Amino acid sequence: MLITADGNHHTGEPMNTGVAVQSVVQIGDLIPRGTRMNVFQSIYWVFIALGTLVGVVVVGYMVYNAYRYREGGSHAEDGDDERPTLGEIPTGGGKGRKLFLSFGLSAVVVISLIVWTYGTLLYVESPVAAQESDQEELEIQVVGRQFSWEFVYPNGHSSFELVVPEDTRVRLVVTSDDVFHNFGIPSLRAKTDAIPGQTTETWFIADQPGEYQAHCYELCGAGHSGMNANVVVMQQSAYDEWYANTSGGGGNTSDTSGNASENGTRTTSEALTA
Amino acid sequence: MSSIKRWFVTTNHKDVGILYLVTSLFFLIFGGLLALLIRVQLLQPGGTILADAAYNQTVSAHGLLMVFWFLSPLAFGFANYVVPLQIGAKDLAFPRLNALSYWLYLFSGLLLGISFFQGGTFSGGWTMYAPLNVPIYMPSIGATTTVLALLMFTASVTVGGVNFLTTIHRMRAPGLTLRRMPLFTWTILLTVWMMLFAFAALLAALMILSSDRIFGTVYFAATDSGGSVLWAHLFWFFGHPEVYIVFFPALGVMAEIFQTFTGRRIVGRKWFIASMVLVAIQSFMVWMHHMFLTSINLPVKTLFMATTIGISLPFDLMVFALIYTTIKGKIRFKTPFLFAFGALVLFILGGITGVFLGAVVLDYEFRGTYWVVAHFHYVMVGGVTGLVGGIYYWYPKITGKMYDEFLGKVHFALYFVGFNLVYFPMFLAWETPRRVFDYPEAFTPWHQLATVGAFVLGASFLVMFYNLYASLVTGEDAAPDPWRYVTTAEWAVPSPPPLENYPGRPSYDGGALQFLEEAGPRPSGIAAADGGAGTRTDGGVAATADGALAGGHDHEESHASIWPFGLSLAGFFLLVGLSGVNTGGTAYVALTVAGFALGAYTLVGMARESQTFHGPSGPFGESWPFAKVENMKLGMWFFLASDVVLFGAFIGSYVFIRVAFGWGAWEPVPHDPVPGLMNTYILLTSSFAVVMAMVAAQKGSRNGVVASLLVTILLGIGFLGNKGIEWLELFHEGLWLSTNVQTSTFFLTTGLHAAHVIVGLFIALYMLVRAWGGAYLDDDKPVEYFGLYWHFVDIVWLFLFPLFYIL
Ligand SMILES: [Cu+2]
Ligand SMILES: [Cu+2]
Repeated sequence: MLITADGNHHTGEPMNTGVAVQSVVQIGDLIPRGTRMNVFQSIYWVFIALGTLVGVVVVGYMVYNAYRYREGGSHAEDGDDERPTLGEIPTGGGKGRKLFLSFGLSAVVVISLIVWTYGTLLYVESPVAAQESDQEELEIQVVGRQFSWEFVYPNGHSSFELVVPEDTRVRLVVTSDDVFHNFGIPSLRAKTDAIPGQTTETWFIADQPGEYQAHCYELCGAGHSGMNANVVVMQQSAYDEWYANTSGGGGNTSDTSGNASENGTRTTSEALTA
Repeated sequence: MSSIKRWFVTTNHKDVGILYLVTSLFFLIFGGLLALLIRVQLLQPGGTILADAAYNQTVSAHGLLMVFWFLSPLAFGFANYVVPLQIGAKDLAFPRLNALSYWLYLFSGLLLGISFFQGGTFSGGWTMYAPLNVPIYMPSIGATTTVLALLMFTASVTVGGVNFLTTIHRMRAPGLTLRRMPLFTWTILLTVWMMLFAFAALLAALMILSSDRIFGTVYFAATDSGGSVLWAHLFWFFGHPEVYIVFFPALGVMAEIFQTFTGRRIVGRKWFIASMVLVAIQSFMVWMHHMFLTSINLPVKTLFMATTIGISLPFDLMVFALIYTTIKGKIRFKTPFLFAFGALVLFILGGITGVFLGAVVLDYEFRGTYWVVAHFHYVMVGGVTGLVGGIYYWYPKITGKMYDEFLGKVHFALYFVGFNLVYFPMFLAWETPRRVFDYPEAFTPWHQLATVGAFVLGASFLVMFYNLYASLVTGEDAAPDPWRYVTTAEWAVPSPPPLENYPGRPSYDGGALQFLEEAGPRPSGIAAADGGAGTRTDGGVAATADGALAGGHDHEESHASIWPFGLSLAGFFLLVGLSGVNTGGTAYVALTVAGFALGAYTLVGMARESQTFHGPSGPFGESWPFAKVENMKLGMWFFLASDVVLFGAFIGSYVFIRVAFGWGAWEPVPHDPVPGLMNTYILLTSSFAVVMAMVAAQKGSRNGVVASLLVTILLGIGFLGNKGIEWLELFHEGLWLSTNVQTSTFFLTTGLHAAHVIVGLFIALYMLVRAWGGAYLDDDKPVEYFGLYWHFVDIVWLFLFPLFYIL
């Protein structure tokens, strides 16, 4: 029995369908999933490996040819019967076969790489649908302004430090109060534009408790270089305790007005660790 | 003519080419010094050489200078010098416009220089994202000046683009069909096509931004109506083609150099050209790959991912074509070839790292980091590498002297090592956020290496400058063809070429380049040009305008015109004035007025000179597909095509903002469509009047021409008067440019149209005066060209009226 991507069960199908379905499953297995760090790592290193290989082969071949056909070398006379002359009408030389072969090969490599990563893009864009599991999700509003980041929790609590539990999918809904910023946590591989008047989303799962840094990735004015925020990943129990102590005011109301700084207390990392 | 004065009045394509080359190298030094400042700041995390705001200004000005004021103009120096020679033209189609584009370019650069002293130059990066680019967030006058400098540069590019398009399409030697054109000329042709449309979109973006900054419209500050994203769309619609605009000429140079120094014709030439055509068209369909992290949805992302991958594939073919060209070659590692070969290596590395960015999941993480910085420097400075090869390649042709080969090779060694030392570590330290000078400690060694590399790269140019300068004096005289295995026509004439370029009429009709005598064909051949015919070698660089006419063929009596310089100077005054005119400062207001006055004076001067100044006149050899259209008319068509894109971008911006605002919730600004409707009738009638003027001119009726033009002018004035009353009423109701986003789009878009009407009226007034004196009776073409423009302006109104009054 085989299970296709859409979860249907197939039994007693003709042989060729079974093979096709099996290959679908295998392709599915090849697509990186998991946390965004996993996803990035697996794709990045495949690209690095292939990129290096292609680079070395192509540049190596260039240099080899340039040396082989250097003036004064033993092959320099090879093409002497067909050298260009001044004033001739420009035409092409050589045969196109090799050209098209290499072109076709490079096209296949590039296209299959991108198609391969497209599966992951679909997963990253909609992780819940792809995983078919109703994992718990924490949604936090992020507001960028010159030159700080503010985080607003479902209970209305607001702070300048992002505190999240480990192993939980955190969905960030990001906007800006003034100019165009870009919010990114490099070690957790979450990043999205912070656009005034619009919201964008990104998500991450932190699998290690600890402190991380968020930066601004779009030039936003004089303080851009220092527009950072602390990201604290806690164990679930510690997080629960911390969250219970935040004064949300409005309970479960999630504030989307982008002006949440007025109704929340500000937590510092000292208060957290105390 | 004194030698200094000559450079101010020259309109010769070779002179203008030299001016472009020298000026662009000056801006290379300017932008390069800023780059060194950046690298010094990055020696340690949180560097302190520059303060926050100063650092932002430095990165912004560095980017703007290198992309706009150095890269393209360097390429257009070659284009000016070489393209007419390659296609067998005596000059560009419109020599004075060519000088005009140069002077606009120079003065726009000076404008950028001035901006540093007006409270600081623009500090929002070369991408100038909104709404950081509006005065609330960036109040300095210098920032406005920078935007105006770009506006002036765009004007220069548009004028230049129209000129090159007309020249290359119309003025090729007999037998030189488009398919047979040399590759460098091909790349320039495609570059100017892209420029015509891409820069029109940029022009719209810059006009709107200038208006936001000076008149207080609220396009980009209207963040609730998508203003911020609107800028990104407009900018990147220009910005991606711009990548190819700066890279294609380098590709052309590389192709020429590869063919010459391998002694091989390029493999798959047809496909090479087809690939470039494909890229040029597709370049307008990939811009949103710069916006993958904005709120665009998955289907759009998928589409733009696909087009992006699609556009990378033709480059694979071009790269392989260049590589296979070396097979069976007889490769001579002269300096030009070293640079072209090096450029290809760098471009391959840039291309591979670009594929990473094509994978959207990776792009998410690379966005705003040094991966992007490193990647586009490999591509763009890779292009510079090819162009530097072009400097050495054509130096003997332009100066008539050989450069020093040893110093050339030293330059290449330093350059190549320095290049990779500065940019490769950026890949290793790619997690550094872009335009940030604070980075993780762990990256310090890589950034320090990059700084060392930057100084090596900079020093390599000192070697080049010394070499080029010293060789002017001490270099050996260069033969017409110093390389062997060249094919293109510029090598068939002396180095430097004489003022009139050729010893006869160039033709490819016999299957190869020949120079024909004026009367009847007499194949003088290449050999003659090589040796015996080199009588006027003093032409290009050092010659004065008298080195002509020996060949007996007719030659324009004068190539000198001061008006392009004067007009650009007027534009410079005007824009310096405008930058601070809303502060009310006396100096700024005075400069604005003076600029206007000088501009009007020079325009009239230039127009009057048109009666004696003639550009190259036909018939030309190959003009497909425009054999039936004269140069002037074709130039008008190209200009109007760019104007279509300009208005298209304005209307597109309006629609974009209105959709973001809520289409139905948006009320037209004028409550009453009747004045607009009246104006529609007025304009349509005026178009009819222009047609009457044409008919009268053809019939030879002076009174008919005068009367029809008069009616046109009166109707135009009526249009403006009617509009003025309407605007005044709106103003009294408290609705003005800066009231809200509705009024901003209404006043600015219809205002742009009104400005077109005003320009048309001035032209009509000038023509009326001339018609009074009996002009146009035996040559009605000026009336026809004016008609083209006037009808176009009317048609635009037919779109604006329903959009802004009815819907
Ligand atoms: Cu920022
Ligand atoms: Cu792009």
